[in-house]
Amino acid sequence: MICVMCARPLTTDFTLAALISRAPLRLPTLCVRCEAQFERIDPASACPGCGRQAHPALCGDCQRWAAQGQSLLQHRALFTYNEPMRQFIQLYKGQGDRRRHTAFQHLMPLARRGWALVPVTSEPHHFAARGFDPVLDLFSHLQLSRWLRKADTPLPQAQKDRAARLATPQSFIATLPARPAPHVLLLDDLYTTGRTLYHAQAALRAAGYGGTITSFSLIR
Amino acid sequence: MMISGMQLTARECAKVAATTSLAQATAVPAVQRVAGRWQCQRCGQRRFGPLADGRAYCVSCVGMSRVETGSQLWRFPHTPAPLGGPLTWRGTLTPAQARAAQAALASVAAGRDHLFWAVTGAGKTEMLFPLIAQCLGQHQRVAWVTPRIDVVLELAPRLQAAFIGTPVAIGYGGRPWPMRDAPLTVATTHQMLRYYRHFDLMIIDEVDAFPFSQTPMLAYACTQAARGVTVFLSATPPDALRRAARAGRIGSSMLSRRFHGQPLPVPVMRLMKLTRVPDQLPLVAARWLAAQHRAGRVSLLFVPDTRWVVPLSQAVQRLGLRASGVHARDPARLGKVQAFRQGQLDCLVTTTILERGVTIPHCAVLVLAADDRQFDRAALVQMAGRAGRASDSPDDPVWFVAAHFSLAIAQALTEIRGMNRRGWR
Repeated sequence: MICVMCARPLTTDFTLAALISRAPLRLPTLCVRCEAQFERIDPASACPGCGRQAHPALCGDCQRWAAQGQSLLQHRALFTYNEPMRQFIQLYKGQGDRRRHTAFQHLMPLARRGWALVPVTSEPHHFAARGFDPVLDLFSHLQLSRWLRKADTPLPQAQKDRAARLATPQSFIATLPARPAPHVLLLDDLYTTGRTLYHAQAALRAAGYGGTITSFSLIR
Repeated sequence: MMISGMQLTARECAKVAATTSLAQATAVPAVQRVAGRWQCQRCGQRRFGPLADGRAYCVSCVGMSRVETGSQLWRFPHTPAPLGGPLTWRGTLTPAQARAAQAALASVAAGRDHLFWAVTGAGKTEMLFPLIAQCLGQHQRVAWVTPRIDVVLELAPRLQAAFIGTPVAIGYGGRPWPMRDAPLTVATTHQMLRYYRHFDLMIIDEVDAFPFSQTPMLAYACTQAARGVTVFLSATPPDALRRAARAGRIGSSMLSRRFHGQPLPVPVMRLMKLTRVPDQLPLVAARWLAAQHRAGRVSLLFVPDTRWVVPLSQAVQRLGLRASGVHARDPARLGKVQAFRQGQLDCLVTTTILERGVTIPHCAVLVLAADDRQFDRAALVQMAGRAGRASDSPDDPVWFVAAHFSLAIAQALTEIRGMNRRGWR
């Protein structure tokens, strides 16, 4: 096995706890050196609403969402959007090097009983251009519930400024199964303003979902 | 903006669509089945990764706009170059250099590839000026390519100074393209993926350098971008080229003397335990560095591991020397190298990124952990070749410090001694 980022050979040592536990063994595909370049967000000191790094009180963005009558998503993210992470996203989503999708899977054991993991899927014409859905593949190690569909929008979020992102209209449609799980964890690759995830939450509510909803992304 | 001779993916064509018409281009399938297996028609490699929609993409050249199964490459027709200016360099070649240059001209006239095997500091660049001048005078296109951006950046101004009236195009990752339409192109080997049968003379500098030596797609790209003769330049050519030259399949010229006529400094092997490295320098090495400083030399300290750079430069600073450290990901890298060149530093701790292309007068070289697997024959010869570049100090000392002897060390020492012996004859 070689590292998906730097192509150097991987050496993996399992901990005894990992060998004994009943969770599936997941080999990292990212070497320790590459992993060390990314900056972890400490969940204890992150914003309780959006997972912003080192902001233990509710941040201004989240207060604004709450003032608009949104129920906060209690978002959690693993990493900050630092320079190496920007490069990773550029290679993975920008150039479309799909093989890198396994890079962080060993760090995201998100499955829980009674949870539905709902990915925020990409637009049809983005899928057609890339040939894959970056979010679905990033979480492809999990059992996903694809309840959300996204309609095409004129501009991708990545090409907008903050105000334009926040003004983006709803483009999600949710279809629920007959007996949906009591809790939904929304999954995305990147949380910037929160617009996309709050739209996803609203779409689930509009389809009649009555359980609790929180969200998770790789990057904040 | 001209894109003659380029081969582009549909996505790249969209980038240049405003300035050019696709009508003149020929479309070829980007991936073809060759002997039952897919082969990328741009980089020649056969490793593919699956996409979710049933297609697959070439994982080797994905960094230069992705190539997928079922997609097309657009090849634009080659056009002859605008006439280049004459050679404006007014230096003179030494007799040995002139002989080597003549041999290259003869090879090109005979239409065969040529290997320039010249020791570090022999003046390879100048030897190629007559050949380049001849091609530029015949509306031909010349590409000087190398795997390293540092070499491109150092070389481009030197070539421009030697051919003042000739436009020079410069290309490397991160620089806007297409390049200007110029008879003379200086670029990284990766850029050659974007050309098809375009350059009449292809000069591949540092053929043995990473990543060219480990990446077969780059050799494929250079072959595909050339439409005439290829000239290889190296101080430490790979075995395949040496064999081809020995068998007479390609022409060759060898320069075993530096331009100042003095032999290469022969590395001194010092075996010692390196248990305290990188937190402390071995005492003997520390004394040696201090002695070099007293003798008025700066020193390059090569290490095999990026993580050693910072602690070792601190260890050198504790000796009372002005020291700093650089590695490939260091954002302040160019500034530190510049400071070292200007004499603001006494010692620079570096990984192999500075093994080639840097010329610093009065420079002593110490290779720490020379037995590390990262250091192959070529790397060791190149690092030792940083010493003794100035004609008034041709015998700057070189130390290989290691816990063990390695095959690469033995090969490097043999090669350096052999070159010195040959130089006497």
